[in-house]
Amino acid sequence: MTTQLSSGAVGRGLGDRVILAATIALAIVMVLPMLWAVGLSLKTNAELLVDTNSVLKAPWTLRNYYDILIGSGVFRWLLNSIIVSVGMSLGVLALSSLAGYGFARLEFPGRNVIFVLVLFGLAIPEQAVILVRHQLFSDLNLHNTYAGLMLPGMSAPFGVFLMTQYFKAIPTEVDEAAMLDNASRFKIFWRVLLPMTLPAQATLGIFTFLHAWNDYWWPLVSGTNEQMYTLTVGIASTQMNFAESAGLGYLMAQAVFAGLPILIVYMFFQKYIVRAVSGAAA
Amino acid sequence: MPGIELKNVTKTFGSVTVIDNVSLSIRPREFMVFLGPSGCGKSTLLRMIAGLESVDAGEIWIGDRRVDQLAPGERRVAMVFQHYALYPHMTVRENMSFGLRNVKLPEAEIDKRVDAAAKMLEIAHLLERKPGQISGGQRQRVAIGRAIVKEPQLFLFDEPLSNLDAALRVRTRLEIAQLHQRVEAAMIFVTHDQVEAMTLAHRIVVMNNRKIEQIGTPMEIYSRPATTFVASFVGTPAMNFSPVELSDGPNGFVSARLPDGAIVATRIDKASLPESRSFKLGIRAESLDICPVGQGQTAGVAQFVERLGDRTLVYVRLSDGTTVVAEDAGNSRVAINDKVGVKFDGGGAHLFDDQERGHHAVLEGNST
Repeated sequence: MTTQLSSGAVGRGLGDRVILAATIALAIVMVLPMLWAVGLSLKTNAELLVDTNSVLKAPWTLRNYYDILIGSGVFRWLLNSIIVSVGMSLGVLALSSLAGYGFARLEFPGRNVIFVLVLFGLAIPEQAVILVRHQLFSDLNLHNTYAGLMLPGMSAPFGVFLMTQYFKAIPTEVDEAAMLDNASRFKIFWRVLLPMTLPAQATLGIFTFLHAWNDYWWPLVSGTNEQMYTLTVGIASTQMNFAESAGLGYLMAQAVFAGLPILIVYMFFQKYIVRAVSGAAA
Repeated sequence: MPGIELKNVTKTFGSVTVIDNVSLSIRPREFMVFLGPSGCGKSTLLRMIAGLESVDAGEIWIGDRRVDQLAPGERRVAMVFQHYALYPHMTVRENMSFGLRNVKLPEAEIDKRVDAAAKMLEIAHLLERKPGQISGGQRQRVAIGRAIVKEPQLFLFDEPLSNLDAALRVRTRLEIAQLHQRVEAAMIFVTHDQVEAMTLAHRIVVMNNRKIEQIGTPMEIYSRPATTFVASFVGTPAMNFSPVELSDGPNGFVSARLPDGAIVATRIDKASLPESRSFKLGIRAESLDICPVGQGQTAGVAQFVERLGDRTLVYVRLSDGTTVVAEDAGNSRVAINDKVGVKFDGGGAHLFDDQERGHHAVLEGNST
């Protein structure tokens, strides 16, 4: 019995070690390009033109970061990205919560049909609608506005689906207790049920924020004025030639700079992100 | 304190009638228990009184106010739910005061009521905790506290003990009984547990198949069941039933002949019995005693023996193949496959006609 237990423990220990080694290897594969980008950002363009392997050797410089601080539009793009990402996240949370509550709790004609129609939105790729959307936004003079950058992302079928399922999982007894406590329907939604959906909102908010931050295509189409570039579009616009044989260090410095906010988001919301991803996997 | 009146209340879901023309009066300060199996409509009826289900026909009155058209919060009722239904993001104090804040009661009054209820329920030390940080029994107390602070005219309990373990259930049952003595309001308690019903109720409403089978005190329900259903649902073990042929007995009573030929002299007045194509005899285990073979009205073979400590239940297979449950002393020596005699106490016998209605032994100066 003891022997069996021991060999089982050894087996488990070995398995754990293999998994740990594989995880470390994968982490290195993930982190190396980022470290490489940081390294490139600390080298002068002249050195990089000669040999990019010079990253590994001194001297290093903060010149590229200095150039960003004095001459680049990156601060403006950063601000745009923050406004668009936060605005879109708040919009998705508000709309998805209200829609989810409606689908989960309210009785109205055609509820199921409308819900299925919303879910159909999950199956429609952005490429299929982007031309029509571009035309529509053009007619409405929404291009090169924050509203124009945020609105498309606010129609979030996944968010509606997630919040609907989450509201459905809350026992209706809670609503009923609040009804007996003389709460209005809005108060039940706002004070009782909505706070209970915070884990789902954290998940949805984080995913929406990351999606909005990394989005490239729609901001490229809609934000054609340099003042309305988001970070992704702005950084891409600073490529000096196709092969990026010149200005590589400067570009990488901007990329690192652009990545800092998202890194901060990860650091502060790591717990929620892990929970969100594992929850989505489950 | 007002009473509660239900007048011809009906509820349908689509084409299915779930409450069928129910009328009921609950006296002021009365503790009424709705008892019945799952799906009988007892919880639906409770929810209709609370305002959580609409009333399709009929009226509900609390005192001199007709309430069936009022919103739940305007009925002056408080409800304790099966799964507590506490607000998990609020502290215990916030849970208990939420309803009072909604009616804009002064803060001082809210604090006074919450503190008093918390003291009564011995949860004062939990007031700043959240429901997730307290045990199931404590949560149930908070749910009761949330009801108490509203000072309602009527308390509604929807199977509030079913989530608690056995020991806690007994304790909480006792506390609810004590609570009823302290508050002025009437209480309606829904359960499928006959022990809860028998121990808590002033009167029990036994429901089955969307209708009321019988309303009565616990002892009336137990000793004079109105229908076969009530007789079989209330009491453990369930009442023994057997088809019988009736004949004239002494003093105007009837005697019942069982399929195996045993004759049971009942104390049921023949004149009180209706015309019926057939009758069933119903008799509880405590009216069937185990005795030596030849000393009782019939005999059989012990199939199972359940030793309960203070008494022993013996399942006896009679010669016609039917099985009856009889009672023996706690230290009974009966073993499986023993031949035993069975003595019927005719005074404890009931007869049920072909409409399933019960007819019982004559009471002093009374008959049914």
